[in-house]
Amino acid sequence: MSRLPSLARLAGALALLAAAAPRPAAAQLAQWTDVVYVPGFWSAGRIVARPDSLALVMRVDYFASPPRWRAEVRRTADGLTFGTPDILMGSGAAGLVVTPLGTTPLEQHALGRDPLVRAVVVFDAGGRRTGPAAGQITDRGAGGAITRVVYRRAVRNPSFDTAMLDPGNRAGGSTLLASGITRVGDQRSASVVATAGARGVDRVKTPGGDVPVTPDPAAILRMERFAVGAVALEAFMRAGALGPYAVPDSTGRHS
Amino acid sequence: MTRAIRLLCCATVLAALPVASARAQNPFDRLRQIANVARTLLPISTEKEIEIGRDIAATIAGRFPVSTDAPLTRYVNLVGLTVASQAPRPDITYRFAVLETPVVNAYAAPGGYIFITRGALGLIQSEAELAGVLAHEVGHVNRRHVIEQIRKSDTMREVRNTVDLQGAVMDHVVGAGTGMLFTGLSRGDELEADSLGLEYASGAGYDPGGLAAFVGRLDQHAGEGPVSEFFATHPKPNERVERLQAIAQREGLAGGVALEDRYRANVMK
Repeated sequence: MSRLPSLARLAGALALLAAAAPRPAAAQLAQWTDVVYVPGFWSAGRIVARPDSLALVMRVDYFASPPRWRAEVRRTADGLTFGTPDILMGSGAAGLVVTPLGTTPLEQHALGRDPLVRAVVVFDAGGRRTGPAAGQITDRGAGGAITRVVYRRAVRNPSFDTAMLDPGNRAGGSTLLASGITRVGDQRSASVVATAGARGVDRVKTPGGDVPVTPDPAAILRMERFAVGAVALEAFMRAGALGPYAVPDSTGRHS
Repeated sequence: MTRAIRLLCCATVLAALPVASARAQNPFDRLRQIANVARTLLPISTEKEIEIGRDIAATIAGRFPVSTDAPLTRYVNLVGLTVASQAPRPDITYRFAVLETPVVNAYAAPGGYIFITRGALGLIQSEAELAGVLAHEVGHVNRRHVIEQIRKSDTMREVRNTVDLQGAVMDHVVGAGTGMLFTGLSRGDELEADSLGLEYASGAGYDPGGLAAFVGRLDQHAGEGPVSEFFATHPKPNERVERLQAIAQREGLAGGVALEDRYRANVMK
């Protein structure tokens, strides 16, 4: 017992030291999503140019702790589904394409020839994001024609493992934003399905007393197979001015 | 990491020893108390959470049939995924379904299986209200409210590690978890889910008053059969409304869309 006061003093000193220590890098984390459109509409797997409509071409999920950053680029080839992500990582303004075999500078990779992918690198030399934190960003070409429209939404309190910013860690922590959305409709393995319903809960408590139940695993299987694609979700949000589509554009106007 | 958890468990059990010895002279009582302390430290993995949640969901579907109305299910999923995308747990998949019952309620089984009843949809008047209700349920999932209650419950008495969570033990856990959903989670869990629901729905661009509007409307139906279960399983509506409004004011949450027409077009067909 006599040791308690000294232990308390030690704990107090440790707490003071912890408070005086530099703030962790977590305070510098940034996370946001860009949804990228180009003028036109999807028809039979290709974009038909039309100035008065926009076709969804990619979604980019960003994770940054300056100067390091990571961009997960999901492109659509038909306007209906997103493909598996291409992973770009970088430090400062330089981007690397990360593959299972290693990394390649973006400008030396095939992806680097795609202006839409090159435009994904939105960082200055310090690895800080250029452009607005959120909102609609409209790029125009010569003559003022719209070439690209980006809807950007920032995550208010980002919390991701900075290990995913390590180029050696291609998969680590990936698909943070999109998981739970793009995976809707996935089917579980047959072994899991086979065990469902084998158990015997036959009564459950309710405010009105115990009631008999017969578990219905087939209904849950249907629930799991019910697919809502990520592209359909983007269209739904855009139609309702929700998510990234709810914010004013870079000129202050609402979309 | 596993080693660190083991060390933490051992340290906590050792720390509990003097307390246990002071309160109980019987060595069996002491052992039981130590086991209880250790039991509440047993982590339940996401994989196991999903397995439990899946069986709880099947049990919910055994009480109320799951709607086969595909357009309605799609709409509810789109609204649910919109709010869930505000703070998704990367380790689970969110799924939403409608239960064909006039009972007014919504349920969140662990692992992302979320239900809303046809009765609730009948009282809801806008997409913002639906978003608020579903976001509240997403909050329960994200904070693992049911799993945490299960972890601390007597049903885990027989569980030494998660490998034991199968067969008859799993039946008890699933039965207890479903019972928690039907009889109500703790007041603290409900209020936390309210705060999170408000945050998610507002963050998605919905009118932040959606959940409060729905809860307030329920108050007008107090005493009616279909809402009696809701009143029995949630904190008082007026308390929730006041709290939700205070949070919205404190956080400066305003604006957003209500989308009444889109709701009517998809639900009130």
